[in-house]
Amino acid sequence: MAQELTKKQALLRMVGFGAVSAAMFTLAFQHADAFTELCARGGMYAAMPIGAVLLVSYVHGGFASNLWTALGITAKAPAKTAQATQTKRPEVRATLNA
Amino acid sequence: MDLALDSLKFIDLTTSSIIFLFIVGFIGGLVSGFIGSGGAFVLTPGMMSLGVPGTVAVASNMCHKFPKALVGAIKRFRYGQVDIKLGLVLAASAGIGVQVGIKIQNMILSAWGQAGSNLYVSVSFVAVLVIVGSYVFYDAMKTRGGSGKDETPALARKLQSINLWPMIHFKTANVRISLWFTLPVGFATGMLAATIAVGGFIGVPGMIYVMGVGGLVSSASELVIAFAMGLGGTVNWAMHGMVDIRLTLIILAGSLLGVQLGAIGTTLVREVMIKIVMGSIMLIVAVSRALAMPKYLAQLGLMDIAPDTVSLMEKTSFVIMCAALALGAVIILGAMFKARKAMARQAQEAYGQA
Repeated sequence: MAQELTKKQALLRMVGFGAVSAAMFTLAFQHADAFTELCARGGMYAAMPIGAVLLVSYVHGGFASNLWTALGITAKAPAKTAQATQTKRPEVRATLNA
Repeated sequence: MDLALDSLKFIDLTTSSIIFLFIVGFIGGLVSGFIGSGGAFVLTPGMMSLGVPGTVAVASNMCHKFPKALVGAIKRFRYGQVDIKLGLVLAASAGIGVQVGIKIQNMILSAWGQAGSNLYVSVSFVAVLVIVGSYVFYDAMKTRGGSGKDETPALARKLQSINLWPMIHFKTANVRISLWFTLPVGFATGMLAATIAVGGFIGVPGMIYVMGVGGLVSSASELVIAFAMGLGGTVNWAMHGMVDIRLTLIILAGSLLGVQLGAIGTTLVREVMIKIVMGSIMLIVAVSRALAMPKYLAQLGLMDIAPDTVSLMEKTSFVIMCAALALGAVIILGAMFKARKAMARQAQEAYGQA
């Protein structure tokens, strides 16, 4: 159940991040020439490509991460070290020594 | 605003070139997420084969490399595999290595021209990849046949036992070693990054065999080094206006999907798979670069070879390089598929017993 819920959450997030990511890529490529020219001006304009890739890595990275989770491709949980569970002391019962 | 792009610097993008860059970005990301590096050695020549000038190809590749490494490092940090301190210590000495590597490149360029510089790059590629790749592959096969678990190599054990001030303890890697022994590893990583653009081919084996860090933590911490070096390189290239943001964004779209899948893969497969993938790629790439050498030898007048043969060898070299990356991806995806199948079988057996 918890696994299904995680998958559902991941699916919702994937759709959200995916929509923003698609909008960003569409915007960038609709104005590709102007954007490329701006990013290649050099000097202080160096912040443009760096900022753009960081923004894309957050949004598109979020989409990618949730996509794999939604598809059920998740990391294996690290093996838990066996913890000594406190065993219940046996109840003392009155016995009759015959 | 109507802006015409400089056609000498920026190529016209076609559907096939977009698909090619996206796929290579995805596979490169997958391999990087798994072994900590890779992809760059195919992406730069790949972009150049589309007509992108060398400097723009290097700059655009580097601009996609650092955010990809950042995302991969964050993912693997969540799995407890990244030693940030180890990555940053090595990145500092790698920065010096990069500067020295660039100086050597410039010296060779001014003494022997472009052909001499290309020959130097190819010779470095072949020498490093054959020596290091053979050892990594041999060790992977030995470990695979044995217990399947990484043991601290003899050299690393010896170096760890030398108490030379200042000693550094890397918590996640669980290694205590003198700073002096980390410097050559970082320096060589930077040198190689400046020469063949893939510092991880020295960095990861260096961490494993010289410092005694496990394969999993080495490959994950390499992403920290790649991020630091990639960011520094990008600032430099972007300030010179060499980044083609369109190429960077297309590659990044593919590689962000791949890098996360590769990172997930490291939690599913045996640790020795990292060495197998790395060793295989290194040896195949060495063959590819060896095929590129006769062209530069001919340009320097050191070898007589027909232009048709050179052209054929050049094409074969590029195909083999792509094949190296594809093989790495196939091994990773195959190992992940097998691991998931085994996990499902185990879960079913446990359910049956309950």
